[in-house]
Amino acid sequence: MKTNSILMGILLASISVAHAAEHPMAASGVMPAGHDHAAMAGAMGMEGMGRPRAWTELPLLKTKMSGANRENTVISIAPQNIVAANIDAYSNNLKDENAHRQLPMEMAGAKLDKPATGGFQMLTAREEQAESVRVASTVYYFGERGAKNPTEMFMQQKNELEIIPQPYPREHSRYRANEDWKFLVRFNGQPLVNQKVKLETSNGSKVEALTDAAGVLNLHIPDDFKRVEEKKEGAGHDHGMRRGADLVVATEYVDGGKTYLTAFNSAYGENAYDKRNLAMGLGFALLGMMGAAPLLRQKKTEKKPAQAASDKKEEV
Amino acid sequence: MLKSLFPTLGRFRFTVQIIMLFVTVYGGALLGSYTVDRVSQALPSLSCAFDKMTGDHCILIVNQHQLHHRVGEALANAKNITLKVFIPTLMSVGIFFMFFFFLNKAFCGWVCPMGTVQELLRKIGLFFKRPLHQFEPGNVGRVRPVKWLMLLVLVLGLPLLAGMGVASNELGDPFCQVCPSRVVTTLLTADTEQIAVRTGTNINFFLGALGNAMFGFIIIAALAVRQPFCRICPLLSWNALFQKLSPMKLVKVDSHEKCEKCGVCEKACPMDIHEIGTEFGKKAFHEDCTLCGRCAEYCPDDGVIQIKFFGIALFKSSRDYYKARVKHESPEGTKKKRVIPIIAKPTSNNG
Repeated sequence: MKTNSILMGILLASISVAHAAEHPMAASGVMPAGHDHAAMAGAMGMEGMGRPRAWTELPLLKTKMSGANRENTVISIAPQNIVAANIDAYSNNLKDENAHRQLPMEMAGAKLDKPATGGFQMLTAREEQAESVRVASTVYYFGERGAKNPTEMFMQQKNELEIIPQPYPREHSRYRANEDWKFLVRFNGQPLVNQKVKLETSNGSKVEALTDAAGVLNLHIPDDFKRVEEKKEGAGHDHGMRRGADLVVATEYVDGGKTYLTAFNSAYGENAYDKRNLAMGLGFALLGMMGAAPLLRQKKTEKKPAQAASDKKEEV
Repeated sequence: MLKSLFPTLGRFRFTVQIIMLFVTVYGGALLGSYTVDRVSQALPSLSCAFDKMTGDHCILIVNQHQLHHRVGEALANAKNITLKVFIPTLMSVGIFFMFFFFLNKAFCGWVCPMGTVQELLRKIGLFFKRPLHQFEPGNVGRVRPVKWLMLLVLVLGLPLLAGMGVASNELGDPFCQVCPSRVVTTLLTADTEQIAVRTGTNINFFLGALGNAMFGFIIIAALAVRQPFCRICPLLSWNALFQKLSPMKLVKVDSHEKCEKCGVCEKACPMDIHEIGTEFGKKAFHEDCTLCGRCAEYCPDDGVIQIKFFGIALFKSSRDYYKARVKHESPEGTKKKRVIPIIAKPTSNNG
């Protein structure tokens, strides 16, 4: 039967996948392109290694993962362009003892342990002077099944001027170039309408935008990886490794003679269609469709006399 | 009221399938962005993690990642392989089983979005009068081992080897890269990213091309073959490992003399499980069964085939139900416009 033989073809094709394991890329340590860990590497603070730090003057919180293995993971949080005595960590589990922790600064930054419940951690650092308040904020995600919905935690007021992701990328998702993401900008809990917000990226982009009538910023993340690639002449190709970079969104507001500056930083990945080809994808899908097309032809088998009589009877 | 809304088990199942299609494909958009992190993350159906709107995702991606990043890495680094390494995997399987326990393989026949899409495609095929290709008892056995190979090679073997550094890291989730549900469910959310083939490396490209070709094949084949991908789906084999442990079962009597000459249930089975007609007792609940219930609907004798939960019959075959059912739809799924006289003789091929 044709169906059978074609499905067997699929079997053979799937078996041949096993031979792909012998590709010279094997054991090269290249991050898998099949899923999103490369961009998660940005969130873990690994992607920025070797890149000049001073790509922005805005306050940042850089997270870095270290430790011998997953069970002994240590997250260090290093403030940049801001002087803070400690880091405030807010857990999405609002009812446990880790709901709000103050992490003291150490030599390598503040140390963040994974709470048993895991999930999203909103991290903020605050620098207050007589006439100014500067806040840096970011989110760290500990993958954990059943982690509570972080929306309520994000919406809790933590500082006067706040930039709140609406929403923050969930697991298996991330900020990516050429995508639109929303942020709520508010002061003392009230949305700021037509508030100027600026975006800077470690790839060199600088963009300004305004919040809408609900205080929401619809941020278009610039597609600026190619520009960086062009600058790196002779840098060699990256073996398909998906890259990450950093972005920071910041806004400033003056109230009662005091200037408030708040920045929210995160990692972001390449444009979804970088190192992808839609036309070829459609072409291969079409090829598969053509392979199955013979199944759509009417059967040419002749009816047996008994079956024909039975059909005739049904049609009465 | 309920009976007028759902006059047949088939109508009820179709309604559940459509609801579950929305939950699994658009659930995140309807119930909140973070829903996917909080339900099971180990669903026994092909609900895709690459779908940005999904309400939950299937266990296979979890299995691949855990074998790749935990078990494989631990083996490669020659570290102490303690229970701790396996705890996340055991947790996933445990949560999977909590769901699976209640519905068994009905996750395939009632919940899986890929299964629903294939059934919808077959309805389109029927509308355009495309023929139905069925596997005969002599050749269906050649397809059945494929699902086990898919499980062993793509879900378990390659991710483990990738984690150990023996295979390329890009083979950390090979099944997801060829899974047609990844393309189907993301296209249903108007996202074309997953159908665009990766061109970063040869392995990326090969897997992408293979996956897309399989997607294209399945989409067209489903117009003329019932459930073409389900037959080779590794989740069917994964679920088959646990199907005897659930109190939800397909139950057939230990003997029934009319079965030998009837065979209507075999025609009704979308997975071409001929054993439902030829075998009895526990053997009739085959590893390929998706608990769709069509065999029970189209069995012309009272109580021969039943769907039971903890021994309680949720649905059982009956002659009156069969008579009403075949008036509107043939066992093969063709809708009937005219009222067709039922051939009363139970030993005939038409029951």
